[in-house]
Order: sequence, then structure tokens, then C-alpha cells
Amino acid sequence: MRKLLSAMSGLVGTVLLSSQAFAAEGNGLAVPNQSWERLWHEVIMDITVIGVIMAILAVIMLIKYKASSPDQLGTAKKLTTVQSIAWALIPASVFMADDFFLAANGWTVWNDYRRVPENAMEIKVTGYQWYFEFTYEDGTTTSELVLPHNQPVVLRMTSEDVIHSFGLPGFRVKEDVMPGRITYIYLNPVEIRETFVQCAEFCGNDHSVMTNAVRVVPQAEFDAWLAEAANG
Amino acid sequence: MSTHTTAAGHAPASGWKEWVLTTDHKRIGVLYLIGSMAAFGVAGLMALIIRLEQMELGMQYVASATQYNSFLYFHGAAMVLAFLIPGLTGFAANYFLPLMIGARDVAFPRINAFSIWLFYFAIVLALLSFVIPDAPDIMWTGYPPYSVTTTGNTAFYVFTVHLLGFSSILGAVNFLVTVIYMRAPGMGWNQLNIFVWTTIAAFVLQLIFIPVLAAAVTLLLFDKYMGTHFYDPSAGGDVLLYQNLFWFYSHPAVYVIFLPAVGILMDIMATMCKNRIFNYKAAVYAGIWGIVAIGGIVWIHHLYITGMPDWIRLGHMVTTLLISVPVGILVLSFWGTLYKGAITYNTAMMYAVSCLYLILLGGLTGIPLAIPSMTVHLSETSYVHAHFHFIMALFSAFALFAGIYYWFPKMTGRYADGPIATLSFWLNFIGVNVTFWPLFIIGKEGMPRRYWNYEMFSDMTVFGYTFQQFNTIATYGSWIIAVGMLLQFMNFIKAAISGPVAPLNPWGSKSLEWTHTASPPGPGNFGDTDVVVDENWSPYEYNRG
Amino acid sequence: MASALLGCALAAFPAKAQYGGNVPVSDIDPSIFQIDEKKYLGAKVNADVDLIDAQGNAFKLADKLGKPLILVLSYYSCDGSCSVINKDLSAQLADVTNIAMGKDFNVLTISFDEHDTLDTLGVFKEHLKTTENMNGSWTFATFKNKDDIKPFADAIGFNFFWSPQDRTFFHPGAFMFLTSEGRLARVLYALNSGPQDITLAVYDANEGNFKPSDIAHYAVSLCYSYNYAEGKYTISIPLFVGVGSLSLGVTSFTVSVLWFRRRRRGRKVL
Repeated sequence: MRKLLSAMSGLVGTVLLSSQAFAAEGNGLAVPNQSWERLWHEVIMDITVIGVIMAILAVIMLIKYKASSPDQLGTAKKLTTVQSIAWALIPASVFMADDFFLAANGWTVWNDYRRVPENAMEIKVTGYQWYFEFTYEDGTTTSELVLPHNQPVVLRMTSEDVIHSFGLPGFRVKEDVMPGRITYIYLNPVEIRETFVQCAEFCGNDHSVMTNAVRVVPQAEFDAWLAEAANG
Repeated sequence: MSTHTTAAGHAPASGWKEWVLTTDHKRIGVLYLIGSMAAFGVAGLMALIIRLEQMELGMQYVASATQYNSFLYFHGAAMVLAFLIPGLTGFAANYFLPLMIGARDVAFPRINAFSIWLFYFAIVLALLSFVIPDAPDIMWTGYPPYSVTTTGNTAFYVFTVHLLGFSSILGAVNFLVTVIYMRAPGMGWNQLNIFVWTTIAAFVLQLIFIPVLAAAVTLLLFDKYMGTHFYDPSAGGDVLLYQNLFWFYSHPAVYVIFLPAVGILMDIMATMCKNRIFNYKAAVYAGIWGIVAIGGIVWIHHLYITGMPDWIRLGHMVTTLLISVPVGILVLSFWGTLYKGAITYNTAMMYAVSCLYLILLGGLTGIPLAIPSMTVHLSETSYVHAHFHFIMALFSAFALFAGIYYWFPKMTGRYADGPIATLSFWLNFIGVNVTFWPLFIIGKEGMPRRYWNYEMFSDMTVFGYTFQQFNTIATYGSWIIAVGMLLQFMNFIKAAISGPVAPLNPWGSKSLEWTHTASPPGPGNFGDTDVVVDENWSPYEYNRG
Repeated sequence: MASALLGCALAAFPAKAQYGGNVPVSDIDPSIFQIDEKKYLGAKVNADVDLIDAQGNAFKLADKLGKPLILVLSYYSCDGSCSVINKDLSAQLADVTNIAMGKDFNVLTISFDEHDTLDTLGVFKEHLKTTENMNGSWTFATFKNKDDIKPFADAIGFNFFWSPQDRTFFHPGAFMFLTSEGRLARVLYALNSGPQDITLAVYDANEGNFKPSDIAHYAVSLCYSYNYAEGKYTISIPLFVGVGSLSLGVTSFTVSVLWFRRRRRGRKVL
């Protein structure tokens, strides 16, 4: 059974195994996207167990209790008061136990996402119809988000026009970018790679093509890139 | 109870006048059915075009992004506001609720007639948005500032919401008064059909929450056309307030759709299993009313990625997860009703059984979405899209179709069952799975909603297949549904005209609409004698063991 | 608002000659009197900056964080606009009742004038008598290293310059509300905001974290939203419209129940 379940969760579950392969290299800080994958597996496991049990029960009953003649009546006994209450309270307690279990795990991962370490690099993100703009700590403004490897980053985000959403599927995170409000995303880029940001909140005609490149590069390469961007 | 039948009595009018001027709840119900099915047809066509466009990268089939966006708008707004809500609370409640409680009509028949015509005006207005040059392109959610700054015609959206909202409020007070005061003598609260309970719960939600939506969109109208700044942060407005007000209504709106669907299914399952509803009181008081009680305090889960304070997000995570308690109790009642039943299979029951699958799949896939730390990634992806289609759109639509097959003999005196019905059921059931399962899979990897182009994902693969290939499968699925639905509607029309004649109570139900009325019921519903029930009567007592 | 700010800045008295220069330019760009919030909200101050308080003790700005902080940048050698700013703040704070200084937030005035010393600070503090009874939760300080001043101010978009012609500093008369981790959360302006604005801005700087006992005050704070055009909080009308509309359903239900009962009674009599 357990084998079956893990196979199923694997089927529905992650494909980006690569992010886990790099976990060992990290900087000792929580990596939100890795926590996400772990929680996803846990939740999928949880709902698969419930789903499979309930589905099997339903299929058994649907076959077993097929009427042999149109006049046949159901034979379920009427519940007594005690049974009625038990059939409400016991399942309710089980569901609540599972809810609180999931809530606790969700909360833990939430802290990974929202607790920004002291030394995080600040990058300002501004959303426009239909592109994002990045401003580094030295004031350099770029159209590409380049992150130094293993350097925690916090993006402070706002919009100049309508609501956008800064979606980083590769980092398993997104947060809305709104005029008049500041939101933030914490990233811990422990893996050198090229990915992208896409707008995730409907913002008009070019919503589907609102995207910028995101690269995680070694520190030295980042420094060179930033120097060049500052001059260019 | 009054013995007067004036309200339901018809002046001998003929032809179309009989329908246009009708105040009879059954005819109004049929008008709701026709209107909502028309909306379903048009909005379904939009869905086909949207899916077709997503089959390939870039833009192939629609003329422009603006047009694509207006199709998305229409699909969402029409499916929710003009198909699901009016189909379930308009058609099903109008036609069957008075019959189930032994009433000769609703409390205010003329107001009822007024609300059906408001509904038709709304549909006409919504359809008109296709012929104006600046169709609304703001999704069914209409978030400012975009809905204020767009060149699209936001006014059409606002007025459509106003008309439908007004229509719903009138319907809600009407049915609440009807159930409170017009139940057959002797009918206690614990003897009501589950469908009656779910309908009044839905109407309570409508009555409380719809005015908030109406108010929110009205201010949107002022912002766009009168230069006010209610949602404009540069002048004291708050962009997020609209989203809060919108979802304060629109999350409960999900239950306005979900609950009557549950009610229809419970009634069908009790009848087809010849069993009483398992743990009736728990289903009603903990399940249905539990959803009403918690349903108003979970809306922030639609705003998990909008930078709300952490404690609000985590608080709503707990309340949202707790929704699983009342829903779980309803699920147990479904399962328990099967236990030791005597199950007869027909098209209505097949749809009902498919709904058991849909509630499991749609409900359980909602659990990750209740958790903010999961939603930070899943939000606005096709995972969400697939989830809410399964639990809200498909579950409720399939329940409505189950209801149509179940009550077809009541409305027409004929069966709608037959080989074509069975074939169309399987096409629809297979079609929805082919359409939405791929969206779950690529949604988990980030496939966005509301995109016509997803070129940035073209390097990504899942199980070795590209996003485009998954989208193509989903589009094939939508074609299967299209064939299934076309066959189904042809079948309905054919069956209404020349289907096999059904006896008065073809399913052997104990419910009043089957035991005490003709098919279709005449004016006044119950002939010359009022319905009176005794304290042992129940719509679900098949076997008094 | 602009006129209030201008008045505030021009109230400066002619200062000492040591500031030098005699360039006859005085067409001031009014934008200098404001902090460009769009650009700087969310910006983090340098919390590691070394400061010196009125007693001559060194401390770091970080020592004052951990709860919201109202930051005022001014200079001590003037008894014009700067004391107007600080006086206005102290007058407003005296009327703030829902939150307590020292417990819920701190106040910090730092001089951006590199020429300020402990002496000028003392004179200034003397002048600003009202702050005496604030039990040390309002700190007056100078920068330890004058090279820190410009980068510190720049990081939060606070522009200032010496106008030789007007013989005064021009600078925004701003109360800057920092979050517990030192990010700029809100800016209010002297002579333009009341005690309520200050309370609401502290709530904003608290980022939605409030003590359970504060829930009523927090709930009230949701009734207002910040108005960028006016630089203060205004009532959030949509919220009231939305909440008010909740009564519509209840009213229409009550009316229809009454109507139905009356009609039915009428029929029974017949």
C-alpha cells in the first residue's frame, strides 16, 4: 500500500527533482522552493490516501448494493441519536485533526517563505504594463533579474499602473505587485540556473507575454554583470 | 395555509403570452432553465475557442488579445452568474421547491415573474457586449485599477451584475418566506427534502452577500465613469478593498452553487438507493449550515498572494481548511446513503455517481490551495483552474444535469433516458477528465491561467511532454465535451417531444413532487385538496426498519 | 499641503556664516519637500549607522528598532522649521491615546547637519521643552560619522541642501514611519497630519501585527486608507458602503415577511 501511495504521489508530484540535488550546496538557510516541494509531497500523500479510501468504499458499495429488482428497498437501519452524534463528531474530529496537522506544516513552510534573513540583498521591482524593472542597491536599473549564487535576496515590489503578479514558477513563489502598496518575495538562490518571471495577475492585452529573464550566476559573474549594467 | 389558488391560477391566455405573463413557479422555472442553458451554450462556445487558442503557442484563432480577454470575461461571468446560479437556484428551486414542501406557489408570484425578466434582461445585456466595439475585458472578477483604466466597457459588467443581483435578492426573499410560511400543514423542519434545505441556505447566502458585490461594482462604475477614486491609491483609495469586497460575496457564491447541487444529488441518491439520507440531521445542521457559518470567513484564500498581513493569511488558512469538516459530513452522508441501499442505475444516477467522483477530486485538490505556502506557487495557475472547474463548475453542472434527467418525467411526462443519454453522459464524463487532468499536471509546474501564449514555458517538460502537448490533450477533451453536450441537448429536445411516456412516479420516490402531483403538475400543483402530511412522513422513509 | 511645507521650511531663521557660499539661487523645486513614496516605500534604512545621543552615548539605530519607529531628520542649529517639525510631532503625540510611546513605538530625531554637536543638540532640546516628559522614548541624536549622513538620507529618498541665499537648509518636514526591521512604511508631513494619522501610520508600520487587546483599535484603523494625494489618511468609503449594504438583505427579508403576514391575515378575515 505504501509503495502504491508513494508511486502515486510521485506521479502527481514533482518533476523538478534537480532542485533537491542541489540542496546540499546551500548556504545553511531555508530554501523556500525546496520546502514547497516537500510540503507538496506531504499534502498530495494525505489527499491521495483519503481519496483512494473513499473511492474504493464507493466502488464497493455501488457494486455490492445494486438492486436485484426495481421494487427492492434499502435496508440501512435508522441511526440512533447516539450513533447520529457519533457519526458527526468522530469524523469531524478526524477531519479537524488532519486540518490542523496540515495547517501546522503549512505554517512552518510559510515561515521559510516570509522570514527574510538580515543579510538579504535588496532588489526593487517595479511592474509596468507590460514589463518588470529591477533596481539594485547601487541604483542600477535593469530589465533582467540576475542573482548571485547562494546570496539571500528580498524583492521589494510595487506597480506603477495596474495590479500585476510577480510569478517565479522556478522558485515556486509569486506575490502581487500593486500600485500604492509594497509587497515582498524572499528568494534563496542555491542553484545556478536560468529561469524567468511571468506576470500572474491579469493585467491587459500583453499579460501573456509579460516576462523577464531571471538568472542565478556565481558571485564573480554577478559583480561583473552589475558593473557592466551600471556603466551601460 | 390559505386554500386560495388565485396566485397560481392562470387566466386563459394562449401561446407565448401564457409564458411571458406567467406567474406560475413551474413556468418561471422552465424559463430559468432555458435562459441558463442558453448562457451555458454561449459560454461553452467561448470555452471551446479559449481552449483552441491555447492548443498552440502564439495567437492563431482569435483576432486579438483584446478579443481573447473578452471571451475569458464572458465565459467566466456567464458560467457563474448566468448558468450555474440561475440554473440551480433559479430553475431547480423555482420548479421543485414549492412542490417538495406542498405549496401551491411561491409567496410572491408576481415578484417571482419580475425576477425572471430581470434575469433575461441581464442575459441580453451580457450578449450585447459581443456586438459593441469595446467589449468588457476584465475577467469576471473585474479587479481595479485595470477595470478602471481599460478601454473595455466595464459598465456592461456592472449593469449585468446589478440586474442579476437584484433578481437574486428578490428570489431569495421570495423563497425564504415561502419555506417559512407555506410548508404543507404538519411538515416539520426535519421532514424537509435536503434540496429544500440547501436551497434556503443558498438563498440566505445570496441575501446577505449579494448587496456587497453590488456595492463594490457600483463604486467601480463611479471610478471609471465619474472620476471618483474609491479604488485609486493615489487619492486615498485602496486597490485591495475591491478584492476583499468582491470575494466576500464571490466565495460564498461558490456555496450558492455548490449547496443546491448537493441537495439535488442527495434527493436523487435517496430515491435511487431507496434508502434514507444517512445522518440527515448532521447533514443539515452541521453540513449545510456549517458551510453557511464558515463560508463567510474564508474569502482571504482568494487573496493569499496579495500581501495581506501574515496573521490574516494564516487565520484564513485555518478557517479554509475547516471547511473540510462540514463538506466531509456531507460526503459521509452521500457515502452512507449508498450503504445497504438498493441501487437502480439510470442516467440521473450515473450523473450522481460521477458527482461523487467530482466532489472527491475537486474537494481534495482544494486542500493544497487552502494552505498559503502552497498557494504562493499554485495561485493563478491552471491547477487552480482545474480545481475549481471540478468542484464548482463540473460538480454543479453534472448535478444539474442529473436533476434534469431525474425530474424530466415530472416536467414533461416523458423519460429522457436512453442510449443517446448514456452515450452523452460518457462523452461528458470522459471529456472533462481529458480536459482538466492535464491542466492539474502542468498547473503544478506553473502553467498560468488566462494566457493565450505560454512561450516562456516552452523549454519545460513534464514526464517528457511539453506544456503545449498537455494543452493539446486538454483541447481534445473540450471537443469530446462539445460532442457530448450537443448530443445531450438534442436528446432533451427529442425526449420532450417524443420520448417514452413515463408513469407518474417512475423512480418510486417518496417525495411530494412525485407522490402528489401530475406530470407536469397543473396550475395550483396539487389539484383540489391541499397536501397535509403527518409527523411520520418523510421524503426519505423507504424502509421503516 | 505644499504651502504648509514651504511655510515650514521658510520659517527658518538666517543661520551662521560657517555654511559659506553666496550663490544667488532660490528657485526651489517643490518636490524637495516631499519624499517620493512610490520609489522609497519599503526601503531599508542603514540600521547599523552609529549615532550619539544627548548624553553623548554612542548607540546604533538598530537599538531603537524591534517596534515601529518614527524617524525625524532635522538639524539643531535652527529654531525655525526644524523645531516646528519636532514641536508639531510632540504636540500630536501628546494627543495620541491608543498607542503608547516607548511601548508600542519609539521616536528618534537625528540631525543631518554635520556641524551639529552635543551643545547645539542640548540647546535645541532645551528649546523643545515638551519632550522632557517622554521618559527617554524620544531620542535626539547626531550622526557619529559625518560621511554616513548623505548615504543614510539618500537610502530613504530624503533630500536636503543648504541654500546660501536663504541661509537655511531646505528639506522635507517629514515624519518617517519605519517598521520594526527598519523599512520605510509611511511618510507623514508636519502641519499636515493629526494624532489619528500618526496612530494609523504606526499601525501601518506594525505591518498588521497587533496585540489581541488592540483588536478594536486595529479594526478602526481598517476604516481608513492612506491618501497619497493628501499625504494623510482618509476614510475608506467603499468599506462603509460594503458593510452598509449588508443591511439590505436583512431589511428586504424583514419587509417581505411583514408584507406576507399582513396579506395572509387580510385573506383570513375574508
